[in-house]
Amino acid sequence: MVETLGNRLNELRSARGLTQAALAEAVGVSRKTINTVENGVFTPSALLALKIARALERPVEEVFFLEP
Amino acid sequence: MTASDIETADRLGRRRARILPVLAIIFILQQSSYFAAVAEDGARSVDHVKISAWLVLTVLLLLLLATGGSWFRRREVRALLNDEVSRANRTDGMRAGFFAAMIGGIASYILTYFEPMSGREAIHLIVTIGIAAALLRFGFLERRAHRNG
Repeated sequence: MVETLGNRLNELRSARGLTQAALAEAVGVSRKTINTVENGVFTPSALLALKIARALERPVEEVFFLEP
Repeated sequence: MTASDIETADRLGRRRARILPVLAIIFILQQSSYFAAVAEDGARSVDHVKISAWLVLTVLLLLLLATGGSWFRRREVRALLNDEVSRANRTDGMRAGFFAAMIGGIASYILTYFEPMSGREAIHLIVTIGIAAALLRFGFLERRAHRNG
């Protein structure tokens, strides 16, 4: 069974009123990186996932989860 | 890192994604100059210039693939242009380039049974196939990454 990494990035980002560019600035990555993670095109490293969760002030497991 | 850096990196990243396939096509088309020069024995000085131009372009494209380019931009912008997604895309591009070059090498080897080919021609062909494939793959992945944003 292949598991993939799901995320609630769009939902949590929108709830905080952040644009992709604003979140990118807070994390210190390009807007493209936020876009690809949000759309599930790119699976982030543990480091990037933790940085995104910290920028959103949420536990990492609330932002990212395993999808069957 | 400022909002302006993010915007600049976004703009440059999109431009890079558009330019990469164009560079691959220019690089492939330039091969006609080389093989035309070889057909004429490559003795004229103008042919040496053409071959040197190919060599310079090869080195520049290899550097672009190895570093991500934008060498004259600020360090912060370069870091954004070479962040996790871009590094992953470049690695994927270079992997595609490696496999394409190996397949080109095998094809050249088989071809020599039917058509004589000098070592220089074979190297030229393999390097061209490898770099062009890497550029196309990197460009495709970068364009996909910029979509839906």
